[in-house]
Amino acid sequence: MRVIKACGLMALGLLLASRSSRADDAPASLTEHQKAVHVLNRLAFGPKPGDVERVEKMGVDAYIRQQLHPETIDDSATTEALSQFDALSMSSSHLLDSFFADVKSYLHAQMMAGNADEMKLRYGINADKDSMSVPKVEKPKTTRDKLIEATGHDAIRAIGELQQAKLIRATMSERQLNEVLVDFWSNHFNIDVKKAPAHALKIADDRDVIRPHVLGKFRDLLGASAHSPAMLFYLDNNENSVARDRSRIEKTLANLYVSYKLGMKSAGLISEREGPNENYGRELLELHTLGVDGGYTQKDVQEVARCFTGWNYSPFNGNFHFEANRHDEGVKVVLGHTIAAGGGEKDGEQVLDILASHPATAHHISYELCQRFVADDPPAELVDHVAHVFTETDGDLRKVVEAIVASPEFFSLASYRSKIKSPLEFAVSSLRATDGQFIQPISPVFGKLASMKEGSVALSYDDDANATRKSVNRSIRDMGEPLFGCSPPSGYSEVSKKWVSPAALIDRLNFALALTQQNVIGVKTQTPKPAGDADAVVNQLADAILHEPVSPATMNVIEQNAVGSDKTVDAAKVTAMILGSPEFQRR
Amino acid sequence: MNISRRFFLTRGGVSLATIGAGALVGPGFLARAALAAVDRPAGDKRVFVCLFQRGAADGLSMVVPHGDPFYYQHRNEIAIGRPSKTASGGAIDLDGFFGLHPAMKALTPLYKSGELAMIHACGSPSSSRSHFDMQDFMEAAAPDNKSVQDGWLNRTLRQRRGDGNTSPFRAVSMTSTVPRSLQGDEPAIAIRDLSTFGIQSAGGSSSAMASGFEGLYANAAGDVLHGTGKESFDAIALLKKADPTKYVPAKSVKYPDGAFGRSLMQVAQLIKADVGLEIACVEVDGWDTHVNQGGANGTLAGRLFDLSRGLAAFRQDLGDHMDEVMVLTMTEFGRAARQNGDRGTDHGHASCFFALGGRVNGGKVHGSWPGLAPHKLFEERDLAVTTDFRDVFAEVCTLHMGLQTNQLASVFPRFDASVERFRGIVRV
Repeated sequence: MRVIKACGLMALGLLLASRSSRADDAPASLTEHQKAVHVLNRLAFGPKPGDVERVEKMGVDAYIRQQLHPETIDDSATTEALSQFDALSMSSSHLLDSFFADVKSYLHAQMMAGNADEMKLRYGINADKDSMSVPKVEKPKTTRDKLIEATGHDAIRAIGELQQAKLIRATMSERQLNEVLVDFWSNHFNIDVKKAPAHALKIADDRDVIRPHVLGKFRDLLGASAHSPAMLFYLDNNENSVARDRSRIEKTLANLYVSYKLGMKSAGLISEREGPNENYGRELLELHTLGVDGGYTQKDVQEVARCFTGWNYSPFNGNFHFEANRHDEGVKVVLGHTIAAGGGEKDGEQVLDILASHPATAHHISYELCQRFVADDPPAELVDHVAHVFTETDGDLRKVVEAIVASPEFFSLASYRSKIKSPLEFAVSSLRATDGQFIQPISPVFGKLASMKEGSVALSYDDDANATRKSVNRSIRDMGEPLFGCSPPSGYSEVSKKWVSPAALIDRLNFALALTQQNVIGVKTQTPKPAGDADAVVNQLADAILHEPVSPATMNVIEQNAVGSDKTVDAAKVTAMILGSPEFQRR
Repeated sequence: MNISRRFFLTRGGVSLATIGAGALVGPGFLARAALAAVDRPAGDKRVFVCLFQRGAADGLSMVVPHGDPFYYQHRNEIAIGRPSKTASGGAIDLDGFFGLHPAMKALTPLYKSGELAMIHACGSPSSSRSHFDMQDFMEAAAPDNKSVQDGWLNRTLRQRRGDGNTSPFRAVSMTSTVPRSLQGDEPAIAIRDLSTFGIQSAGGSSSAMASGFEGLYANAAGDVLHGTGKESFDAIALLKKADPTKYVPAKSVKYPDGAFGRSLMQVAQLIKADVGLEIACVEVDGWDTHVNQGGANGTLAGRLFDLSRGLAAFRQDLGDHMDEVMVLTMTEFGRAARQNGDRGTDHGHASCFFALGGRVNGGKVHGSWPGLAPHKLFEERDLAVTTDFRDVFAEVCTLHMGLQTNQLASVFPRFDASVERFRGIVRV
């Protein structure tokens, strides 16, 4: 009896002990260390040396609060680095002029090369080389002139600077969340700069539409995009008009302008009659606001397009210009709302108001933001909650992001390291992890007008012929994410696992190798040389880059390949292997 | 297949890393073994090349219905003229009713020789006009069905798996990412350029670093990256056999400059190198001609010029291999029958597909022409679909790729594929 009682007590004791130890063992959530790593991988482009410790010290909540208010963060080093990029502050007017000059030179070169037939086939150009005015070629005087001459005119240089600036900001800026959001919203309101002259107009779009609005009200961001010459051109809204005949004066002036700008006989490219073009109206609904399942009909697309007739940009100065004579003044019905006749430019504004406050928009935007910050396939409850915040705050994007990072799903094990880095995120996080620096003077030159086919510009990146030595920009392109060069209007998918494919993976491995071998054009990195035996060195390097220990199997492979028979560790090789590891592909 | 082949080829078998570095860099012990092992059962060297024209290519401009009077009414500024011995810029007559766009004249000899066929009024039953959705629906072969995750070509590969081919190059896409049509459980590789597909490390350490990375990815079991890693390294090793840097096309063959020409050339290269290719995907975009489409000349004409020269060069380069190869062009939808206000066309419905190959029943425009009279147009604006694209795909799967008809249900969900509806594009 006593024995049984004793056993019973013991059993009870064991049971209690094991329950409590299970409670201690059960990983309910992330550790403080993991939270710091997670927040630097999600709200930033990965940790730089010292970042994890700094965030742990100040506490993730304080870090998040700070990042949500970028204006309070000193970013002078980045500003200084960007100050040499003068093309970023050029006016659209100047950049458009530069674009026309590029086209003129290109056409002239084609004519000289005897490609008149092909030019006729592609562009309907009737000019022969004798009738074209020869573009003035001024002898370059200063080094800067030589640089410009070598790379093409300002419009091409500007887009190269924009791509480089994006990399510099992502790598260097202290306002990391701001840069992550700029990347997100640029992608949401995608514009492909290959569709000339979108490259000339995108500079203003980045500067005036995206960057100032990422933590403001969605309606303001949407409005800025709807007025953006780059966007209106990219989605053909410059062609969207009420059905009308162009007057003879209009046609003559247009032909004269084209002839003057391109130095060629008028090709008769301006047609008699013009009318509606649905492209912008459709994508505004499908991609920018409601989403493809947002409940609009083909009729809604047409009615929205009618509301935006006349929303154009001026080829003279590249700024937004509402053309009342091309606007459809009739009554329209959009998503059940009647838009009275005679509204002029207000029709479009009314549509934007309707769309910005539509529940489907709240859901669509929230879903995409949850994909970027939480998981490829975010839980419905989370999305619904965030959509609710969106609606309640009237589209306050700062509050929406705040709601996402405050959610239990954000700091969860399910979310931790669950996303695959995009090529941009991989390249930039590699640079940040290895304390990468841009070599001074930072070259603004990253493209030249390689060809112009059917109104598209082929930008050639540094030295395309050199397969092994590439710039960061070109490496990212090769991994599948040409910056500002995504062809479909939908932009790059937020489903991160789509980035994984054999060729893309090989490109990432090659980038990791090139980076640690100082073989990436324009940047240099540091490879620390920790002391200790092979195991200790590998662990320290892994900790510095991954912020977690490597598995024994991984340790084995690394040592087999980076430790010599004399036990010396090739730190650069170890670093390359860690950067190329499956673990580092995740964030 | 003898035991030594199986030993090297089964997944999860011997890692390349432990064989030795030499195998990775040049034809070596393992490469030779792999070489021998990818022979498919004799007689089955069939290759299908899927050429997706992304952006909704205008079928009415590619194969012009010059015999249909409504065509000229709908497109007064951008129509291609009737075939004419005197005026230039007219369609190249094919059969008295249809004509080829003059910019596509490189294809005329192939039509005449019976290797090239077209399927007009072909498309999707879905009425969506969203590029994004319709490309997805076509690549999944599941119109209006968003629950299908994988692609029809991947499912076709799975159905063909019994033939013993385990080459990492069964399915290749000449793009930077694997297209939707090839996504799924069967491995497929996206290669941007054959000549740079491999680990490149300075100081002669490429093979060492390659084996190092290979080891890391081999260990990452359970991670989506593990499978990708393995495919990458298997493919690199096998590709050395093709020796891509030394490829020269057949005599006097000139592919058009640019990515498209290069893609086709590399597919031809892979076919000739006998690496076990079954399905290749090539893409060409720029078909979304909302503005200034042009007629005989213009933006679309330029695109068609390149497309046709590329296809002709590909056929010429392959020579006798073409007996086993079939190229099928496709596009997510066509363009409206009427031109819009910008001498262009908006999104439409049916378009025209092209089939090229030694076993194609060519010299003919297949399909059933619904006509362009206003009351015959789909939703009163577009060319109506009279051939469901899945019937064309099903014909390719069975008559070209050798699937049994009872396997079609696995490739085409919720679709009752039937030989009765085959248009007769492939010679039996």
